[in-house]
Amino acid sequence: MKKNDLKSMGKSFTKYILIIGALLILLDFTFHRHEYFSFAEIYGFPAFFGFVSFVFIVMLGKWLRKFLMRKEDYYDQ
Amino acid sequence: MISNFIPGLIMIITSFLLPTIPQYFRHPAMLLSVGLSALSLFNGYGTFLEWDILGLNLILYQSDSLTLPFAIIFHIAAILVIIFSWHSKNLMEHMATLAYAGSAIGALHAGDFFSLFIWWEATALTSVFIVFAGNTNAAKDAAMRYLIIQVSSGVLLLIGACLMLYQTGNHNLVVLDLKTNFGIFIFIAFGIKAAFPLLNGWLQDSYPESSVTGTVALSAFTTKLAIYALARTFPGTDSLIWIGAIMTAFPVFFAVIENDLRRVLSFSLNNQLGFMVVGIGIGTELSLNGTVAHAFVHIIYKALLFMSMGAVLYRAGTTKASELGGLYKYMPFTTIFCIIGAMSISAFPLFSGFVAKSLIMSSLGGMGMVLIYFILFFASAGVLEHSGIKIPYFAFFAHERKNKVKEAPINMLIAMGIAAFLCIAIGVFPKYLYQILPYTVEYQPYTLDHVISQLQLLVFAIIAFLFLVKFKLYPSEIRSTVLNSDWFYRKMLPGIGKPLFKKIGLLTDSLYKNLGLSFKQVLSKSYKFSNLSYIKVTTPSFAGTILISILFIMLVIVLV
Repeated sequence: MKKNDLKSMGKSFTKYILIIGALLILLDFTFHRHEYFSFAEIYGFPAFFGFVSFVFIVMLGKWLRKFLMRKEDYYDQ
Repeated sequence: MISNFIPGLIMIITSFLLPTIPQYFRHPAMLLSVGLSALSLFNGYGTFLEWDILGLNLILYQSDSLTLPFAIIFHIAAILVIIFSWHSKNLMEHMATLAYAGSAIGALHAGDFFSLFIWWEATALTSVFIVFAGNTNAAKDAAMRYLIIQVSSGVLLLIGACLMLYQTGNHNLVVLDLKTNFGIFIFIAFGIKAAFPLLNGWLQDSYPESSVTGTVALSAFTTKLAIYALARTFPGTDSLIWIGAIMTAFPVFFAVIENDLRRVLSFSLNNQLGFMVVGIGIGTELSLNGTVAHAFVHIIYKALLFMSMGAVLYRAGTTKASELGGLYKYMPFTTIFCIIGAMSISAFPLFSGFVAKSLIMSSLGGMGMVLIYFILFFASAGVLEHSGIKIPYFAFFAHERKNKVKEAPINMLIAMGIAAFLCIAIGVFPKYLYQILPYTVEYQPYTLDHVISQLQLLVFAIIAFLFLVKFKLYPSEIRSTVLNSDWFYRKMLPGIGKPLFKKIGLLTDSLYKNLGLSFKQVLSKSYKFSNLSYIKVTTPSFAGTILISILFIMLVIVLV
């Protein structure tokens, strides 16, 4: 097997995901998406919410390491 | 005769007989006992077995529309665990697993708080041996902590049940509220097993320490039994909505930075319980259906994810993200099954998580609870992060692997295959799941609005992941311990307690010595007291403990 298998897989995965993402946004313009709350009906709202939530979760988690992370043998000491 | 035999009891009896059965027939015998117990699923609804003892009427076997879906899924989970552990020769773990599953099934059919208490403790006592079977020092320590917490939950339940009987004269499983003192005791007892915020430490502490197969068994029963108990006794309790919302959101951040992938799954399990607890808190027919549906599908995909990580642990020897990666080449089937589990828990359309979570989200939306709705929507992005992406990505991809490993054994692949099949089958044909839910509700999860909305959320969360990895913002995996609520009793209490007791010890020691001197003069003639042994505080021996227990039980019986 080639050494850059994972890299090429990652690249094609990224490509397809971006295409699907673009299609989902375009689809939003073709019909009126009914939601329980009117502000969620803005074009691409779930997409925006998903992206921002994900970045927020990872970044806040990373920051929390300062307070929550200890050495692997912390409880054995 | 079989119709009034408590479901699950046959499994417990079989578990005691296992040592007498030859090695090769143990697993078939275990499967057979689950099959026999599953016959009870066809009994219909009603009360089948009562027992009058000590002036109490215990309802040992009842079933209704709420117990049935839980009983079905508990039997399925038991079968999955048995197939998954077919290769294992660990007798103690097999016995514990079968008895544990049987106790959990028995608990579902208890009709009063006292019988529930007996099963409640039975699940604790049997499952602790599963943690113990992890067979490392860490597992043994975790097992002792696990036992203390689980038994405490049972004790609180017993106190609640006694108070309830004393104050109301009733001890049947009825709907309670938090205005009564016994209601609060029982609520906390259930809350410990349901891993409420700050009561959750035991879960992430013990589950990842168990064996390859043990964690799968543990993930299915205890917490879902607590969800069942909450759904039966506290539906529509407002505070559960907030408790559940906190449970969905907080574990997400811990899961991001945790290195051990089985511990990540334990945080994820906690987050999933949050969705179910919110459903109970809303308390409408739609939301309770959502809770039951979610518990049902959750047991399958969570078992699937734990099985895939069990297979990784079995073959690669670790589930630490920092040491894994690139396993897709060597374990292709496990990779595919893991991804199916990951897509189910992330609630991709056509997978089981989607058709269950939709019920809870719709009931929140229908009630106009905007804040809770978006906390859960946010938590859905979190689920995708830790279970949907982190688990498969760090175990099977991330980077190339240098040393080869083998694919999982065939029995593991079969168990994972069945679970993966169920994940997709339920996702594609949700009506069969909806048919067994407690209430008849017409619901269509696959509307264009809903599918597009969910896909946008998930796909753009994945894009966010790719973006973070591309710009090297995604936190790298570090070998570490992440502090959790078990810190309070593992570090803080001993930190205060040890020096405190040492001080008290020194103080009493010197006090006794001074006293001892004067006593000595008085008692010097008696050789028994001459060596100061009478001032030492001793703990009772094993036999002494049993004697004290028997005396205590006799005292209780006399008083009753």
